Amino acid sequence: MLIEDDQKTAEYVARGFSEAGHVCDVVRDGRDGLFQLTREPYDVAIIDRMLPGLDGLSLVKALRAARVNTPALFLTSIGGVDDRVDGLEAGGDDYLVKPFAFSELAARVNALARRPPVQEHKTILRVADLELDLVRRQATRAGQTIELQPREFTLLEVLMRGEGRVLTRTMLLERVWDFHFDPKTSVVETHISRLRAKIDRPFEAQLIHTVRNTGYSLHAPR
Amino acid sequence: MRRASLLRSTPFRLALTFGCLVLVAFLVAGGVTYRMLDRGLARQLDASVNETYSVVASTYAQNDVEDLIAAVNTYSSLRSADRSLFALLDPTGMRLAGNFTPPRLAEGLSTIDPKTLGIEDKSAYRIRAGTVGGNWLVVGQSFADVEGLSRIELISLGWASLFVIAIAIAGGAFLAVGAQNRLDAVAKTMFDVSNGQLDKRIPLTGNGDDIDVVSGQINHALDRLAALVEGMRQVSSDIAHELKTPLNRLKMILNDAVDKDDRGEDVGGLLSDASAESDQINGTFDALLRISQIEAGARKTRFRMIDLNEIVAFLGEVYVDVAGDVGHRLELASLSSDRAIVMGDRELLTQMFANLVENAIRHCRYGSEIRIALDREANKIVLSVSDNGPGIPAEEHDKVFRRLYRLDKSRTTPGSGLGLSLVRAIADLHSAEISLADNKPGVRISVAIPAYG
Repeated sequence: MLIEDDQKTAEYVARGFSEAGHVCDVVRDGRDGLFQLTREPYDVAIIDRMLPGLDGLSLVKALRAARVNTPALFLTSIGGVDDRVDGLEAGGDDYLVKPFAFSELAARVNALARRPPVQEHKTILRVADLELDLVRRQATRAGQTIELQPREFTLLEVLMRGEGRVLTRTMLLERVWDFHFDPKTSVVETHISRLRAKIDRPFEAQLIHTVRNTGYSLHAPR
Repeated sequence: MRRASLLRSTPFRLALTFGCLVLVAFLVAGGVTYRMLDRGLARQLDASVNETYSVVASTYAQNDVEDLIAAVNTYSSLRSADRSLFALLDPTGMRLAGNFTPPRLAEGLSTIDPKTLGIEDKSAYRIRAGTVGGNWLVVGQSFADVEGLSRIELISLGWASLFVIAIAIAGGAFLAVGAQNRLDAVAKTMFDVSNGQLDKRIPLTGNGDDIDVVSGQINHALDRLAALVEGMRQVSSDIAHELKTPLNRLKMILNDAVDKDDRGEDVGGLLSDASAESDQINGTFDALLRISQIEAGARKTRFRMIDLNEIVAFLGEVYVDVAGDVGHRLELASLSSDRAIVMGDRELLTQMFANLVENAIRHCRYGSEIRIALDREANKIVLSVSDNGPGIPAEEHDKVFRRLYRLDKSRTTPGSGLGLSLVRAIADLHSAEISLADNKPGVRISVAIPAYG
């Protein structure tokens, strides 16, 4: 479900999702959007912050008050930090500032749609022969223990939790470093390459894959 | 410009209201005095009547009725002029002596109007009647004197009231004109300012009164407003200038792409160039927006206690490898063992320090040394980032914090020229002082944040 009043943006996003094989309903007005969302179960709602009828923030508040837990992603041209916090406090699940690359939006929507309704608390994450023990804070690959710095551990954990999905550079910055700004240096690239040196390079099959112009994905070789 | 009329002006209305209150207070006080005076005079009259009566009556006690008649006659002839009445009647009601013939009266003190007494007079009389040796003795005294005094009192009260109200109005008008003139000066200044003369200020008298204090505050607000407007003007022209270039480049790339497309050639490369250009433009806009949001200061409500040691250690961990990848050495020095607590916004402080570190990483030649230090100086916590890179010429030290300002030599490296403006906006929000020093070689940027506790 996409609630967006700007026609160009709406068409751009809807076309992108249809091409990726998803069904995307578009509504232009906040009130119509709320009505639709309460009537039908959608996988993800993409909601513009500024809408005619009912603004995005109030819409999500109303939605959550009505106990509709459809994951909601805010789209906005208001890029301030406070706005982001407001959006998340109102019950939104993610936040994306316009202008955005479609790949970034798609990655985030996929992450939201596949997020299990109830977070299961696994203590060991496994991808192929790579194992991450969250309790003992230990990584092993093919039976060999790998020494990881705390931040490298978090980075690997985020990548493994998102197994098979694309994690964009911004998503990684937010989740691993809690950076809500765009660093001018290669923070992500540097740490990914350190991590690769430890978990991928000594082994035959590569698990961390670069997705050109978008981000990274961790999955078993196909 | 609309001027308030004097009659409607607040000082005048206050003065008038105050004058009226004074008048009311004066009238109440006057009324009370009047009543008390009246009662005092009445008591005095009673005493006088009683005394005369006793003196006259006492002549009988000593001698006989002839002495009484003589005494009454003497008194009546002596005191007729001051409106005193005397009468002595025998038991049959015949007048034995005196200057009037009273009607039937009750014994004791009473107030009788002249008509009942059968006398030509305007004022009432205070009468004492009683039996003396079987005869009926009546002594009376007119209220005329008492009334006269009361009238004088009333008249003086009236005149005094007139003076009070006149002085209140005149004084009020005088004070009001003074205050009004100063308020007019404020109004005129605001009028001029709203018409674009941003350098106008309210003249201060320097006596430190309330209008002066308010005027001072308005002037201060105007200073700030003027600075902001000047900043905006500066920024708008900078933005126009700064964005024109990438927009022009974007336009050229797109034109190129359209041409190539017409010839059926592949335009993928040009389109990704165009995308990169537009990202750059967006980045500049976002940074500007963020700066103005930070400068608006709303985030102060989210301030928490923060240990700067944590942020510095975190940034060290993040950037040590990033710096290493481009051949620099990043060093964390003199991390104080005590906690370095400040009140602040963690996200913004992180961004500010990250910005400083990134600046050092990006603007230094391969193989430089970058040092992050955290020190405590008096009641401030000072974070400094120093490098041994190319440095910044001393005459440019002030300019680098300006929006969109870039050193000529760094025009070639990517960046919007907004990084240090953002740093300064965040520093300002935290009441922190930021300073640049020559590190010989290189630059040392320090941020001194007030310590908490």
